This record gives sequence, C-alpha cells and structure tokens, in this order.
Amino acid sequence: MKAAIFTPCTYHGPSEGQGWPTSARVYSDEAAAETFETALAQARLADEVGFDWVTVAEHHFAPFCITPNPMVLAGALTQAVKQAKIALLGADIPILNPIRVAEEFAMLDAMSGGRVVAGMLRGTPNEYITYNINPAESRGRFEEALQLIKMAWTEPEPFGWQGRYYQYKTISIWPRPVQKPHPPIYMSGSSPESGEFAAKNRVGLGFAVTTLPLASKASRHYRNEAEKAGWTPTGEEIIYRVGCHVADTDDEAMEDLGASFRGRSPALSLALTRRTDEVIAGAGYYGRDEDQRGRVARAVQGDIPSRIENGQILLGSPETVARQIRHIHAETGAGVLDLIPMQGDKALKSIELIGTKVMPLVRELN
Amino acid sequence: MSVMTREAADEAPFGFREGRIEADGFDIRVLEKGSGEPLVFFHTARGIRLTPAHARLAETRRVIALEAPGFGCSPVNARTRDLPELARTMMAAASALGLQRFDLMGHSFGAKQALWAAIQDPEAVRALVLIAPSAIRPEDWRPPTVQEGVEPEIGRKQAALVDRLFGPPVDDELERRMGEIACPVLALFGTRDELIPTQFARRYKQLAPKANVMFVYDASHSITEDRPEASASLIEDFLGEPEGFLVNRTSGALSD
Repeated sequence: MKAAIFTPCTYHGPSEGQGWPTSARVYSDEAAAETFETALAQARLADEVGFDWVTVAEHHFAPFCITPNPMVLAGALTQAVKQAKIALLGADIPILNPIRVAEEFAMLDAMSGGRVVAGMLRGTPNEYITYNINPAESRGRFEEALQLIKMAWTEPEPFGWQGRYYQYKTISIWPRPVQKPHPPIYMSGSSPESGEFAAKNRVGLGFAVTTLPLASKASRHYRNEAEKAGWTPTGEEIIYRVGCHVADTDDEAMEDLGASFRGRSPALSLALTRRTDEVIAGAGYYGRDEDQRGRVARAVQGDIPSRIENGQILLGSPETVARQIRHIHAETGAGVLDLIPMQGDKALKSIELIGTKVMPLVRELN
Repeated sequence: MSVMTREAADEAPFGFREGRIEADGFDIRVLEKGSGEPLVFFHTARGIRLTPAHARLAETRRVIALEAPGFGCSPVNARTRDLPELARTMMAAASALGLQRFDLMGHSFGAKQALWAAIQDPEAVRALVLIAPSAIRPEDWRPPTVQEGVEPEIGRKQAALVDRLFGPPVDDELERRMGEIACPVLALFGTRDELIPTQFARRYKQLAPKANVMFVYDASHSITEDRPEASASLIEDFLGEPEGFLVNRTSGALSD
C-alpha cells in the first residue's frame, strides 16, 4: 500500500456563499497566500515522513480548491518535495488545450527527475461552464485528448493532428518526459464507461468522493474489463481518495474532527444550481451510470460512524486507521490511498502519524 | 472510348465521368470530376474506390483517378515489372491527358507509386499527398490475398499483381531516394490503421524532412472513407497553400 497526501488548497479566508461560481467580493490575499503555504508545508512534511505521493487537483471559480491550474502548484512541489512522486489528479483534459497539458506534464517530469503521475480527468460538470465547453462532448474530447497527449509525449518527429475536437498542423514538444515511454496515466473511474475505457487503454483508475460499495463495484468492473483486454492491474493502478485524520487515540481523533467542523461547513462548494445540473445531465454528461448524478451530494451525508463504515473517512488511532485501510484494500484492491487531511492545525501531526505509525502497518498490502 | 460496362458505371459514384486514355501501350480507365487545378489520384491495392472525400475535392479542383493496368476490369498485366515502371506508365497517362504539372495523391499502394512518380518526374508533380502510405511496412507484412469488398475474380487478379509489384516491406532503394523529393508533401496516417502502425509515420519525416506528417484521429487504413470531411478539408488546405500549410488563416473572431 502506498500513501499520497492530497493538498486540496482549500481557501479558508472570508468568502460569500457556497454557490458556484463563488463571488470574490469578499476575499483575502493573505488567506490565499496562507493556503498555499499550508499546502507546501503539508507536502514537505509528508515527503519527509515517507509518503509516496503528493497530489494536487484542478477546480475552478470556487474557494474549495484554489488550484485552477494544478501544474503551477506542482511546479513548486518539484522543488519542495524531494522523494515523493507528484501526482496531478488531474488535469481536466476535455476543457484544456491537450498540447499545453502534454507540455506541462513533460516540464514537470523533467523538473522532478521523472516523478510525475499524470492523472487526466473529465472534471466535475461545472468545469465545462468554466471554459465554455459543451458538456455533451466531454467523453469524446477526453478520449481524443488522451490519445493526442500520449502521441505528443512519445512521437519523436514533428506531426500534425486532424482530430474530431482538436486540430494542430504540427506538434513537437520540448522538453520530453523523463519517464519512458511516458509518465503513468490515471483517470477517474466511477462510471462503467470510464472503467472500460481505462482497461482498454491500460491506464490506472482513481476513485474520489465515493463510497466503498460504489468503488468496489467499479473496481471489479475495471479489473474484469482489464482481463478481457489481456492484462491485470496491480494495486498501484487503483487510487482511493479519502479524508483521513489520525491522532494518538480514537477519542482524540474524534474530538479533533468535531472541533474542525465547528463553524465551518464540510460540504464541497461545487454544487451547481439545480437547473444547471439538469441541463448538463440532459446533455449526456453522466453516461449510463445512474449512481453518478448526485453522488457528490450524497457522499458527504451521514454521521461519522456510517461514513467510516462506507469508506468515506479514515479516523482514529494509527491502529484503527490501519484496520480501516485494510478494509478498503480488501474491498477495492486499491494500492494507493490519496489522503485528504482535515483542515486546521492538527493536520500536520496527523500526517506525521500516518507516515510513521500507520503506513508501516499497511505497507505490505498490494 | 470503350463501351462502358454496367459494373464500370456502378464503380463511378458521385457523378465522376468515365473515360479511357492510351498510354505506354495500355488502355487506361479514367474517372474524372470537377474543374480547376488538376489533382491526379493513384488508387489502393483494391482498385479505384471513390469516397465522399474525392467528391468534396472535386468541388474545388479537377480530380482525375487513373486505374493502373491490371486493376478493375482491365486485362491481366504481365508486362509491368515493378512499381517505378508502373509509376512511369501512370505519369505517361497523365501526360497523355494533357497534364504537364499537377498535384498527385496516392492511397496506400498508390502512395508508394506516387512517391516513385515524384522522384522520377519532379517537374510534373507540384505537390504530393500520401494517404496511409504503405511504402514502409512491417517486416512480416504480406498483402492480403483476399480483397474485401472486391469481386473475387478481380480481387485475386489485383492481389497477385500487387504482390508482384509492391517491393519489399522495407525498400532501401526508395528510402534512399525519398530525400530527393523537393515538392511539398502531406502524409496522412489513421490512428487506428490496422495495416500500418502509427510508429511508421515518423520514417517519412526522417526520409523526407519537408513532409507534413499528420495523424487523422479515429481513422483506419481507409482514411478517406472513415473521415471524408476531415481528410478532404486538410488536403484542400494543403493544396491551397502547400508552403504556408502550417499557418491558420481562419478567423476565430465573432462578426459584428
């Protein structure tokens, strides 16, 4: 089992409302600066205590995650983090220029000595509004962009691309990725279509904002489809992202969590208005998995014990959390845990305990 | 002009007119449509198969598809010894049609022929379009003996001729001479070509540095059938301004 620390860069300064996009009428430069400092400090510590990866994500127009271009933060991480891999989960490739994405990943790989993990996601539905991309084209754009990015990384001679969504007359990226043939690729895989595509294209799969039964079902589907395509994913090909807080004892961990939630909503401020969500759903964004829609909203409901049981949070002493990790591993086969630290000053101690006390108990799982 | 057979009429869709031309001692079938700058087409190992891409190209130029001797309903061709010789016959046919300098487009087997034509007759070829060229093939590659979608007897005759003329999968002589090609070149490769792996595309760039190598996404070896608009628009772009092909001249600005 490998451990990743996810630095969501949640801005904790003043802001107005939970809607999306969020108004910046009330905004603090200092709070934003502190957010980035905190993220870098957590990543540095995680690296020192033996975490295998640090991860960053892409979200737009909201304080929940202030890394609209995770490549920029990853650039800083190449210098701050000495051993751990730097995972971008991801770049939301359907809304971006895929050549730019290929170039940025290659730069990061060159700057980090080959430590980049290239997550490529479709993003949450609202991301399509961000850059004015039709959400009905999401899957088609994703599949084409992924193939184009791989081609840009691996093709040594200049070439052009006459795609359905992307057209370029000539491409020859510099620098080149250090990892050969290219950095490991992951995609988000909760829907059956995603699992099938990932299996067919031999890329890893990540689960986030999910429940254990959903991830377990999706992981089985992915592995079955991979068998059909003639390969067997290892544990490292499956990432499970989950909130995690570890303290010396179970009681202390529970108290920390309660204190962290007071006066602050734990909900993700990614909710669109109902009307917009309906329009995006009607455009065919969600594919054929009915579980998908409203998954984000449902996943943050429920009391703490049921959320632990559902694999939505890891909480307790090192021994307790190791037991919870074994359960997730048994259910999903995940070999990489992408852990979201709790907000507040107790996070650093938790990161240290995960690295020094929890991981030695679960490292042999694969 | 020979009497047009019913089969021949069926094989000329999209309003292409059928004619014949005497060249190099052969009676060669010609399918033609459109007016403007001439674009001569060399077909694949399966004979002339016109696609909507050909029809679209004929909207802005004169498209002339030449049937190589021994293909289609023409008699067995036991005379032509190799592809350079077939290319000479085909260029003689173009010349007999009164074409002095023209754009040349070849698909697969026809692209290898077109490469030889451009090498042997540099004055005649203004620009070269290679569609899924099979001048460089995997070492263990053998032309299919059964040609899908072709009448069996014609298919057997064509397959035997292709096998005899195609030359080795790695053709040292052709590769040595590709550097001589001075005209602008556009080479298209399908990203899901089942015959020519995409990694083979880079060899064309290495051998003919001025070549524009382009991948047509989601196209098989039959690029112009799978993505007619995508391929025809690219070819139009290229032929319209071969030297300035890389520059986008379409405006992205909203009008007033």
